[in-house]
Amino acid sequence: MSEAELRAKRWENTKLSLSVFFANKAAVIGLVIVMAYVVIALIDQVYPQLIGITSAGTLVPNFFSPAPSPPSLTHPFGTTYPGVDLFTSIIKAIRIDLAYSILVVAIGAAVGSIIGVISATVGGLMDEIVMRITDIFFSIPYLVLALAVGFILGRTLLNMSLALAIVWWPLYARYTRSQTLSTKEFTFVEAARASGVGRLKIMFKHILPNTLPPVFIQISLDLGSIMVIFSTLAFIGFITNASIPELGYLTSLGLGYVQTAPWAVIFPGVAITLFALAVNLMGDGLRDVIDPRRRS
Amino acid sequence: MDQTLKISDLNVQFYTRRGIYRALNGVDLSLKQGEIFGIAGESGCGKTTMGLTIIGLLPVNAAVTDGQAMFCGERDLIASFTKAGAGETDKFNLRKSEAVVKKVNKELADVRGSRISMVFQDPMTSLNPVLQVGFQIAETVLTHQPRSLAERKLARARATPEDTEQIVNLLKEGADEQAITKYAESKGLQGIETQVLNVWRRNDLGEAKKEKIILSLHSEKLGSFEKIVLESVEKGTSMPGWMKIPGISRAAKNVLLKEGYTKAIELLSMLEVPNPDKVVRMYPHELSGGMRQRIVIAIALANNPDLVILDEPTSALDVTVQAQILELTRHLKQRFNTSFIFISHDLSVLSEVCDRIGIMYAGTMVEVAPTDEIFNNPIHPYTRMLTRAIPRIEGSEIQGVGGTVPDMRKVPLGCTFNPRCPDATEQCRTKKPEMVEVEGGHFVACYT
Amino acid sequence: MRLWVYVIRRLLLLIPTLIGLTFIVFILSHVSGTNIILSEYINPRLTGAARTLLIQKLTSEFHLNQPIYVQYFYWLYQILQGNWGVTNTPIFSGSVTTAITLFFPNTIMIALVASILIWVIGVPLGVYSAVNRDSPGDHALRIGSFTLYAMPIYLIGVVLIILVGVYLKILPFSGVVNPVLVSALPWYVNGISYPTHIILIDAIIHGAWGVAWDAFLHLILPSVTLALAIIASMIRILRSSMLEVLDQDYIRLARSKGTPEQSVINLHARKNALLPVITLFGYTVAGLLGGVVVVETIFDFPGIGYWTTQALLVSDVGGIMASALLFGLVLVFANLIVDLIYAFVDPRIRY
Repeated sequence: MSEAELRAKRWENTKLSLSVFFANKAAVIGLVIVMAYVVIALIDQVYPQLIGITSAGTLVPNFFSPAPSPPSLTHPFGTTYPGVDLFTSIIKAIRIDLAYSILVVAIGAAVGSIIGVISATVGGLMDEIVMRITDIFFSIPYLVLALAVGFILGRTLLNMSLALAIVWWPLYARYTRSQTLSTKEFTFVEAARASGVGRLKIMFKHILPNTLPPVFIQISLDLGSIMVIFSTLAFIGFITNASIPELGYLTSLGLGYVQTAPWAVIFPGVAITLFALAVNLMGDGLRDVIDPRRRS
Repeated sequence: MDQTLKISDLNVQFYTRRGIYRALNGVDLSLKQGEIFGIAGESGCGKTTMGLTIIGLLPVNAAVTDGQAMFCGERDLIASFTKAGAGETDKFNLRKSEAVVKKVNKELADVRGSRISMVFQDPMTSLNPVLQVGFQIAETVLTHQPRSLAERKLARARATPEDTEQIVNLLKEGADEQAITKYAESKGLQGIETQVLNVWRRNDLGEAKKEKIILSLHSEKLGSFEKIVLESVEKGTSMPGWMKIPGISRAAKNVLLKEGYTKAIELLSMLEVPNPDKVVRMYPHELSGGMRQRIVIAIALANNPDLVILDEPTSALDVTVQAQILELTRHLKQRFNTSFIFISHDLSVLSEVCDRIGIMYAGTMVEVAPTDEIFNNPIHPYTRMLTRAIPRIEGSEIQGVGGTVPDMRKVPLGCTFNPRCPDATEQCRTKKPEMVEVEGGHFVACYT
Repeated sequence: MRLWVYVIRRLLLLIPTLIGLTFIVFILSHVSGTNIILSEYINPRLTGAARTLLIQKLTSEFHLNQPIYVQYFYWLYQILQGNWGVTNTPIFSGSVTTAITLFFPNTIMIALVASILIWVIGVPLGVYSAVNRDSPGDHALRIGSFTLYAMPIYLIGVVLIILVGVYLKILPFSGVVNPVLVSALPWYVNGISYPTHIILIDAIIHGAWGVAWDAFLHLILPSVTLALAIIASMIRILRSSMLEVLDQDYIRLARSKGTPEQSVINLHARKNALLPVITLFGYTVAGLLGGVVVVETIFDFPGIGYWTTQALLVSDVGGIMASALLFGLVLVFANLIVDLIYAFVDPRIRY
């Protein structure tokens, strides 16, 4: 096939993939919602005054009327204890949560994938050692590790992210390792090796591009999971700073008033659930595209 | 019953994301009892689809738009399919198709495994990895002929040493199956004749050993629970109420299952599997491909079906095992007078076992003739190309068949072969040729 | 017979894992210097001469003057002896081992009830969802489980509280038992019930049915919350696993044998479909452990999780480190059990 034909075929395939993805209404909705969250986060980051946020990055308490008040014109989502406006707080919190979640996943995925690919390509004793190490990490519940790390290094958001990243990388290492192992078996890799291409080059040019697509999907799905875990840790009181906007923390603020002011827990809860839902829908849609078993 | 299967004007299509594939376009086939009919063709010509349609195991995205498959002159196997898929539609309704599939499964459950069975292409994936192979064989007997299991065991329990001696004498005198059966029935020992004959006909044992085995088939001990279960199954009455209690019904089933394992051992020794008593307790991954295929064949034959469909049974196996399986098929045809449909892309394999061969191309049957005729006198251009492409020992030059199978979404007009046919005429391009009988039993669909 | 070989090998693997786990916990407690060991084992309320004496004793016992890797072994020795340190939290102050004996039983109750719910509800639902693909029931299940999966576990608990505790007012959502009911009972002293420390069981033992019922009611919401969180992911996995299995050749063969559809699903398909679920269950236990912490905190249920959060909030070193070790051990053994179950179920793994 000529160059033009090849390009045309690839374009056909891309069009088919896109049409598969967009035929999945749920996935599209997921994508839209995720984009919306990203936009909100960016606005809050760059130009918060646009939506009336004056002090980005911190919660603004109102000690004159600390009890939560129901949704009203001035407070579209109501307020939570201690007098914090929920609408603006949620927006601020979205930025924080999203940013740290991306950080965790990025570090975990990057470190884990590299280790996984190298381990699988090199094989032998190194591979065994890496496997045992990941086994040990799998034995440590994320919560406990987070607690321990938090306690030692200080209970800040950043350290929480670090702890989560430490727990998360073995997953990627294992995942990419198994992907690499199966790609390694493919004959085209053997062919490359037979023609004398260096091992490193094989790794990056042949193996990595084939392992990347499923990893990307995994990353996008993990964004949702990590954010949920992140907020769970904040909910139980991990952070010492009482005015960090964070969705789980906001929920915990309203916990004491759950009988009289359910909106105080509902709104932050919905905010995070919606994101996780959207991410999962999007990820499922992506998986349908990549998975060769496409059903009619 | 002379015609085991008669298929007329079968049309099957598949709905996929890339369009509608017309897999079968007006296929006819008639199968006589006790014959081995081969279906040959390239990959993608629809032969596997044929096999799956007959036994009703088409995937959910398939639709039978037209046709009939009369089994033993009694029933149309694909009636439910055709009713649902009548007329070609462009829309694919998943829910409806799934309902149809469920319905067909329910309808055909009584014939599948008992009168029609199928052997699939890849033995490595055909068996359930978490169940013992003996169980997978015994299960099919239990499902369809639990009574035979009860009879067998009870016969062995009731037989006396005199009975077995008498049977051995009869066998030595050369009595045939009927005589032994009559004797068994006269003594109330139904169920023992198959066991006796299976041992007697084995090729791997000496006569003295066979005698010894048969002589030992008597006075087997039965636990009281066993006895109750077996006798009520034998009478064919529905199970007494107390047997339906979950724990007890399981125990009752196990009694029959045990006998099923014994029958499995018998079947496996017939298929020349070494150490069958150990093999039945093994799991599929412990066995080689050839062995696994034999297990699948044992499952297919367990209930003496009228029709067995073999879909490329040897393609995943190496040549030596292939030869064994072919030998087996010939053997079985002799023994049981079962009809076989043997699907393969390898004409040389088909030439070894089949009585008649049908050549398929792009969803239609283009030539049907007795095996010798196909090779000595191929008429259809495609058949001629195929026979020329077979490597021969004499080392004559192989001539490949040029071109590729057409895209089944856009089936060529007229004769489907015309793009590749060197002798194509105008008529070939416009009108589809009918099957005509050229000589006795030799049918071709071609204008040349 | 091969099964036993696998079991033994797996058990042997336990040793390096345990060593690794304890070592990591130990190292963590040493990142900020030797003070931690002292903090772990000294009750902060102890002052003056007694304290100095204790410091000296500990220093020699733990060989705190020696390099770290030596200290590790002495610390490990103490752990194996049952001396896990001291905890000082609002809910309890004293030796860690006592704390564990007091709180662990409650956690076990929740975990047990939740596990039963998960298997009894989750598995049939997952199978149903796959077998009746795209039916209205399947769609409802998928939407439900999807949403549930996206909800953080604390939100599930909170929503349940709102629905059941506030609006419907039928279930209690705080504590382990109504304090009024137990105020005068002889076997319930200072918030601790004897002999098993589990109020529900003790009440049954002592024949106090009213108390037992009340304790049972208190158990419902926390367990259900935990169960729901896990069922959500289980249904998804089971559904896709089951769908994959139903596509397999051996299922087609089973159908070609004329096996009744019910057998095809329950015998042939289900066993194969459960395999990936079992493997993932090991990882789910990790989630369960984290979930227990959250659930107990929300519902004021005095179990290990509650104690852990308290320890974190007041920076109680002994508590944090001990609970880290405890959770780690539970997970290691849970993984072991999962692996063994898997080996039992899947005949292929034994080779």
